[in-house]
Amino acid sequence: MAEEKQNRKQISVSLLKKRWRKFKTIKRGYYSFLIIVFLYLISFILPLFIGRSALIVKYNDNYYSPIFTYHAASEFNQNIPGEANYRLLKKQFSEENGNNWVLLPVYSFGPNENLLDETEGNPPHPPSLKHIMGTDSSCRDVFARIAYGFNISISFALSVTLFAFLIGIIIGALQGFFGGVVDIILHRIIEIWATLPFLYVIIIISSLLVPNFFLLCLIMTLFSWIGITYYVRGEFYREKAKDYVSAAVAMGAPTRNLIFKHILPNSLTPIISFAPFAIVGNITALVSLDFLGFGLPPPTPSWGQLIEQGMINIEYWWLVAFPLAIQFLTLIAIVFIGEAVREAFDPKVYARLR
Amino acid sequence: MISYFIRRFLLIIPTFIGITLITFLILQVVPGGPLEMELMRIKTGGVSGEVNTSVSGRGSVNIPESALKEMKEFYGFDKPIFVRYTDWLGNLVRFNFGKSYSYAEPVWDVISSRFKVSIYFGFISFILTYLICIPLGVMKAVKSGSKFDFLSSFLVFLGYSTPGWAFGAFMLIIFGGGSFLNVFPLGGFRSEDFDSMNFFQQVFDQLHHTILPVIAYVIGNFAMLTILTKNSVIENLSQDYVKTAFAKGLPEKRVIYYHALRNSLIPITTGIGNFLGLILAGSIMIEKVFNIQGMGLLAFNSIINRDYPITMGILVISSVLMLVGNILSDMIYAWADPRIRFK
Repeated sequence: MAEEKQNRKQISVSLLKKRWRKFKTIKRGYYSFLIIVFLYLISFILPLFIGRSALIVKYNDNYYSPIFTYHAASEFNQNIPGEANYRLLKKQFSEENGNNWVLLPVYSFGPNENLLDETEGNPPHPPSLKHIMGTDSSCRDVFARIAYGFNISISFALSVTLFAFLIGIIIGALQGFFGGVVDIILHRIIEIWATLPFLYVIIIISSLLVPNFFLLCLIMTLFSWIGITYYVRGEFYREKAKDYVSAAVAMGAPTRNLIFKHILPNSLTPIISFAPFAIVGNITALVSLDFLGFGLPPPTPSWGQLIEQGMINIEYWWLVAFPLAIQFLTLIAIVFIGEAVREAFDPKVYARLR
Repeated sequence: MISYFIRRFLLIIPTFIGITLITFLILQVVPGGPLEMELMRIKTGGVSGEVNTSVSGRGSVNIPESALKEMKEFYGFDKPIFVRYTDWLGNLVRFNFGKSYSYAEPVWDVISSRFKVSIYFGFISFILTYLICIPLGVMKAVKSGSKFDFLSSFLVFLGYSTPGWAFGAFMLIIFGGGSFLNVFPLGGFRSEDFDSMNFFQQVFDQLHHTILPVIAYVIGNFAMLTILTKNSVIENLSQDYVKTAFAKGLPEKRVIYYHALRNSLIPITTGIGNFLGLILAGSIMIEKVFNIQGMGLLAFNSIINRDYPITMGILVISSVLMLVGNILSDMIYAWADPRIRFK
């Protein structure tokens, strides 16, 4: 018995492995996958590379790491209110030529830092060597904001996709497995939900309640689980008629096991190939909402909010072009992943005569 | 099948009630509605000239009980919520959408004046999308794996990873006369002095305002429709009847463009019904980017201004169009593919 169990496990693993191997052969998708995963992981330790706080400060023979702890400007004998400004500190130390030094991140501007005191002229500033993507109308560094927005966009899209899939799979499974009255009732509810103009209703809700990250996730989830139910429902109808399900029923498997242990793993293919495109959709939705002003509350670094500023006066092209370019690159990488996943999981080979 | 469609049409009614009830509840229950907004406006002294009340301290205004009651009555907040909903529904059945708060005009008049603009852009882009995507999809399928297929895939990926409005925003920056080229206007439906132009100037001006938004609209649906067409043609080309046609010696052109194409277009026809909604309702995003005063922008502004009668009016129109469009799609499907039988 134990041996049999192990055998079964091996078979299922090897199917997944086969698909993974196939996925790896599709270079465009595989490299996009590596890049996106790498950038997303990096984005969690972004303050090490992009940020206002110094990594290490050596001051009067003491070491500080302001990236983890708050240090008032007065601690370093700096004459400004609030937190120390490490860029100025570095300049000051190198002019003093003493033993003190500051190790800054590679790109030493934070996403929410107002740089009005350190720039000339009125914001927004066009791209320059110092601010490679310029500054926005509140004089914050655009590159830093875009970089921090990456993590938020991906995290948002991943969580919404995950939760929407959970709800969609459960409801679709119930519909497909039980059929009959359950299917009809749920189908009516879904039709109402699907006909609600999605963007419109989300705008209504978030204009009334100013949402934070989790609330916005929740609202988006509530409106994006519908598509997945169609796939799952269809798969369940198809799978449930197969012999292995009858066998499981005959052996007295409880309904819960039938649904989650037997049928669900066999109906995941279309769901998995749909996931990357759902993520693309959710990133786009967040940017759209931010652009309309109904997304995440300020000062959250967001791509859509930069575009909104840029569209007010189109001479500020860098506020539109850079976020759009980054959004485009991100989305196209995910589309490549999706294309490769579909190819690996759901290959359709058509024989043609000529 | 007729009884099936009659049943479907009757089912519109409960679905419609569900949709409007949900939105109505959201609008009425959640704080920050028109009454709160109006009170806030008065309290912060926006229209303090008229409301001559005792100003105490730093600009906070006490609104007398009677005025508050009057305002509640004006916005209909003096009744319980389900009475308000049934009142609204009763008026709707008599084709009375109510009166807009901010335009002080009947809702229907406000909405219908925007129809023209949305239909204009929607219709042109709808036709163009089909004219471009179907031949392109067919070509890609027929020449699958060729250089043409490979190169045009870039366009498809562009379409997949750029929402139409984002592409529109990008084009505005380049061509809208900001920092680069000044080729196209910044948006809008027509120039302000449109009426004083002669005929040719009018045609030019209209085209001038049309091109960028239409490209944005087309990009929005381009990738999906092209790939749908391509996959459908490829699938059909591998069918037995195509092999038979080849086997009996028909020329390749006739097999592909006569036999296979007809069957390949069946799944594409199903989308046509749903475009009814897209044409009329306009896109909030694209209309916002190009500042086109159509249905989408009206919907957006009505939410910002808490103009609930308009918000609900647009919801009614767009959801009815959607529901009818779905049924229409199925009808077209059944008509195009005699194998389909709805029961």
